[in-house]
Amino acid sequence: MNEKPNKLKWHVLFIITIGLISAGIYSASQTINYKWQWHLVLPYIVDTSPIDIIAQGDASAAVDAEGVITLTFDNGAPSRVITGADQVLISDGDLIFEGDLLARKEGVRSGVLIDGLYMTLKISVISLFFSIIIGLMTALMRISDNPFSKNLSILYIEIIRGTPLLVQIFIVYFFLGTIFDLDRFTSGVVALSVFTGAYVAEILRSGIQSISAGQMEAARSLGMTYTKAMTYVILPQAFKRTLPPMAGQLINLIKDSSLVSVISITDLTKAGREVVSGSFATFEVWFTVAGLYLVLTFTLSWGIQRIEKRLANNDR
Amino acid sequence: MTDKQKYTGNDMIVTNDVDKIYPNGCHALKKVTTNIQRGEVVVIIGPSGSGKSTYLRTLNQLETISSGEIIVDGVKMYADDTNINKLRENIGMVFQSFNLFPHLSVRENVMLAPLKVAGRSKADVISEAEVLLTRVGLAEKMDIYPNQLSGGQQQRVAIARALAMKPDMMLFDEPTSALDPEMVGEVLDVMKSLAAEGMTMVVVTHEMGFANEVADRVLFMEDGVLLVDDIPENIFGKVTNHVRLQKFLSNIR
Repeated sequence: MNEKPNKLKWHVLFIITIGLISAGIYSASQTINYKWQWHLVLPYIVDTSPIDIIAQGDASAAVDAEGVITLTFDNGAPSRVITGADQVLISDGDLIFEGDLLARKEGVRSGVLIDGLYMTLKISVISLFFSIIIGLMTALMRISDNPFSKNLSILYIEIIRGTPLLVQIFIVYFFLGTIFDLDRFTSGVVALSVFTGAYVAEILRSGIQSISAGQMEAARSLGMTYTKAMTYVILPQAFKRTLPPMAGQLINLIKDSSLVSVISITDLTKAGREVVSGSFATFEVWFTVAGLYLVLTFTLSWGIQRIEKRLANNDR
Repeated sequence: MTDKQKYTGNDMIVTNDVDKIYPNGCHALKKVTTNIQRGEVVVIIGPSGSGKSTYLRTLNQLETISSGEIIVDGVKMYADDTNINKLRENIGMVFQSFNLFPHLSVRENVMLAPLKVAGRSKADVISEAEVLLTRVGLAEKMDIYPNQLSGGQQQRVAIARALAMKPDMMLFDEPTSALDPEMVGEVLDVMKSLAAEGMTMVVVTHEMGFANEVADRVLFMEDGVLLVDDIPENIFGKVTNHVRLQKFLSNIR
């Protein structure tokens, strides 16, 4: 049986279905009389507006023929020279007060949404790192015979899995944050790492326990300590086996990071909210935000698939 | 001081009144007492569930004992100052299910313990691994992964891996039971050559031919009790006057 023409048929059907869904969404949006203005979103991705140059203190200004501004501050602070301004808004000899607009420069900057994307990436990567460390330690405690370690890890996992992340973020920020004087960003990282760590722990535990007991016995019979056997024999196999569920959990981490916007961290979601209130292009902004999240999660799952493939080449 | 003098230098493994009771109440070993001499090949036979594998596994403490004492190479296994990892370096073990490390190549399987346990240099260990793998006839398979090998080949790698730590004694836990019949010979040949070199070996097996040919002594166990401890001629010869052993041998023939 030749299966090729059969499969082609289904590929075509897939494309037609996607096309129909897209057309349906488009015509549905037509009925609500919404004016799509995608160009409003662009400045929040790439910001090309002139950059304002502001005076940091009271001063007297000198402007020469080339448009170079020299500020001599009243309080004796070192004078400031501003070069390369595209638009000078003061004249020679003006008295300047703190906060005055002096000049404008042309320039290309990342927009608010891209800054938010960077913040989401930063908080996710740092939390990912810590959640794997926390998860690994907890998983090892969970499988140990020692009742202290075992109960401690079970308590941690149950508490974290049994309460909503949003509530945990509030507790970390308002309670722990007040006691230990944590800033918003640290609070966000702590909440996300501790939350994801509990799930990573359970994934790793199941991975470790899925390795046959004979592997540990073989390693120990060669004279390896428990730690060495774990490090060189059990964990490398367990990590490989848990890559697919781990990928899912780490993608969840990226998505969960949107919740830190409630403690005023300007991540992608918070940036999206700000842009909506500034541009009123509600639909366009949220579609763009979703697209930017997809860029992050697709990159991560693609990366993990690459690792999976490379490891699969070693042994089947 | 006195412990070492009490046992003659010829004893490699001494087991006195070894008892093993599992937490579920199963009494797996009952007062097993025997000595295994340096260079001796001892084969343990018996019906399944007789405790022969359990006994073998107590010899490197993969299984702990409930009472009694085990002395390996003059070292009391359950003394407070005994480092079990150090002791195990000197006891090679080969398992029924091979237990090769699937994430490492054949060569890396053999090299892992010398590198990470003995802490030896990579250059040394690489050449030694080649010598060992050549010896078990797998020189050309060094860079492939265990699951691309046949069962017999895997078991030979497992023997090479155990030998890499240069142990003074080897324990074999039904090394040929998981193999296709045509692969049993290649593994037994490697074991015979080890025996010929004077390696101290304790082998749990159902290969009566091997026991008859290679063993210096055969132990017959049943229900956790060491019933017969004798030279193979007296076990496999025509006149075995032990009823239980007679029944076991006639069942497997």
